[in-house]
Amino acid sequence: MNAIEIRNVGKSYGKIRALSGISLDVEEGEIFGLIGPDGAGKTTLFRILTTLLLADEGEASVMGFDVKKDYESIRKIIGYMPGRFSLYQDLSVEENLEFFATVFGTTVKENYGVIKDIYSQIEPFKDRRAGALSGGMKQKLALSCALVHKPSVLFLDEPTTGVDAVSRKDFWNMLSRIKASGVTVFVSTPYMDEASLCDRVALMMHGRTIDEGTPAQIVAKYPYRLLSVKGKPMYPLLKYLRGSEGVLNCFSFGSVHHLAIDGSRTDAGKILSGISEAGFTDCEVHEIDPGIEDCFMNLAGQSADNGKFMSDDGKRD
Amino acid sequence: MWKYLIEKEFKQFFRDPMLPRIVIVFPIIMMLVFPFAANMEVRNINLVVVDNDRTDMSSELIEKCTESGYFRLKKICSDPREAQRMMDRNTVDAILTIGQGFGKSAVTGDGFPVGIKVNTVNGTKGSIGSQYLSNCVMLFMQSRAGADVASAAGASGAVIDAAPKYYYNPYMDYKVFMVPALIVIAVTMVTGFFPALNIVGEKEAGTIEQLNVSPVSKTAFIVCKMIPYWVITFFMVGMCLLIAWLAFGYVCKGSLWGVFLFTVLHIMVTAGLGLLISNYSDNAQQAMFIMMFFVLIFMLMSGVFTPVSSMPEWARVITYANPLRYYADAMRSIFLKGSSIADVWYDAAGLLAIGGLALTWAITSYRKTS
Repeated sequence: MNAIEIRNVGKSYGKIRALSGISLDVEEGEIFGLIGPDGAGKTTLFRILTTLLLADEGEASVMGFDVKKDYESIRKIIGYMPGRFSLYQDLSVEENLEFFATVFGTTVKENYGVIKDIYSQIEPFKDRRAGALSGGMKQKLALSCALVHKPSVLFLDEPTTGVDAVSRKDFWNMLSRIKASGVTVFVSTPYMDEASLCDRVALMMHGRTIDEGTPAQIVAKYPYRLLSVKGKPMYPLLKYLRGSEGVLNCFSFGSVHHLAIDGSRTDAGKILSGISEAGFTDCEVHEIDPGIEDCFMNLAGQSADNGKFMSDDGKRD
Repeated sequence: MWKYLIEKEFKQFFRDPMLPRIVIVFPIIMMLVFPFAANMEVRNINLVVVDNDRTDMSSELIEKCTESGYFRLKKICSDPREAQRMMDRNTVDAILTIGQGFGKSAVTGDGFPVGIKVNTVNGTKGSIGSQYLSNCVMLFMQSRAGADVASAAGASGAVIDAAPKYYYNPYMDYKVFMVPALIVIAVTMVTGFFPALNIVGEKEAGTIEQLNVSPVSKTAFIVCKMIPYWVITFFMVGMCLLIAWLAFGYVCKGSLWGVFLFTVLHIMVTAGLGLLISNYSDNAQQAMFIMMFFVLIFMLMSGVFTPVSSMPEWARVITYANPLRYYADAMRSIFLKGSSIADVWYDAAGLLAIGGLALTWAITSYRKTS
């Protein structure tokens, strides 16, 4: 049995199509990542699976329980951490944890083993109000609260959004330990670099999945050769590269540009000499292995007008 | 689980920087300031007299009026136009016109040529002022009749002596009348707004999502939200009664059980309504405005300030849907008249009907799944 099964799920908000034809299987005991930019429909899918929202069409089940019919059973066996930090700010760390334990009909003592790893880090501050915690500590508390009733499946909706790089790393370490204890983790994130930390991922855009598989499988499917190109000034270089012979597409990745090329028409040497002659300075060109983000950009470019996507991908870092 | 849910509400309530203070300060202000401010007694009516008679008799009438304490004599003039100008300029509220031959006709017992004109820009002051003034004139006539034509009047029948006696509030003390009404208002304000804002607060904080994915039932959730406000309101009602006793010496004539029973019923209505509104609003502003709208209508149409019986027929029909009408009526009856619960059973029935409806609706419309 799969932990989560989604068959052809669709959902519209009025005229806006939030999800269409989503089908996914999440195996028991894996970390499954749902990866896509804001507005891809990740949260909608989460709300359907956590029984907060009814799908317009399709079927979905969690641990064999139907999200429509058996919602009461599902609510007993899942942990959910919504994107927005939502604990009682005016209750202390300990009180929050006790509250959520009680609400799920258990006690902190009974399941202390499940949360010990994470909770022990914030336990010294257990009398502090949740509102007075730092971002990273809030996140740990929220995770403890979502885990305190020993759920079979843990739903984490963008848990690392707005969290610093060190805390993010910390958080993923915690997830792998949670997974090791036998919990299935279903996590969404807009950060492409986190995809490699999942066992399997699904890439989402505009309410559809555009690819799924292990990170290695997705990367292996990348069809082109990829170059990393550096040079100044950046923006004119991007425009220049897009117009160059043999360049299939070109996107900016922080301080470099990633260039998909047709190997029969051009190569690293040709590009380097081309941009040097055109007057760009500090030029460097290397051949690189594609990452998930390259795959995503490529697939996104195929499945939709990528101009629109490029304008709202402010969340990449 | 229930115990912990309730405990959490109390913790949050006492940790709020504002709410516990409001619950203490609000009744104090309501009970100590409002009975004086929301006073319908009219004094200091500015009076101008147009005396066309200028006899002993007319000046006696003027004296009679001014010594009642309700009127302040501004001027005695002989030109009605001047008096009218004074009223137009708002310097006087009433004009008493004494026609020529007043002294003579008072002796003979014929009709008195006396005119009363009242400024009714302020309706209450105007209507009550004109009543006082005509009362003064009537009293004067009676006393004249008694003194001069006592024997002559014997033929035309006994002089009717109508001496009103005010039951349940013998001195017509407006404060006594207002105390139970103010308790009604305080309870309505607190129980109408607090639970509604509480639920909307959980919505805004996002914590409601966490509860929605938990196995907590809707009924448990709603009832546990209400119970703390029940307790808080009892405390507040107790405080109001205590202040009424300490500050004014008013004691509840009926049983306190009656007061508390009706308070329980009323909280069921207002809290149910508050929860209902919070289910349909996304943020605190929306909930506040909608609740404000209802609370205002409830108060104005409840008979707290103006008697329901003086409303037009259609408005009276509307008041049957107003929970405050029943609660205010019951509270006044119990507090002033000492009515028992059986005496005001219809008020209890009204509250139960509206409360049951509001609460059922609140629970069914609270959706864990959208």
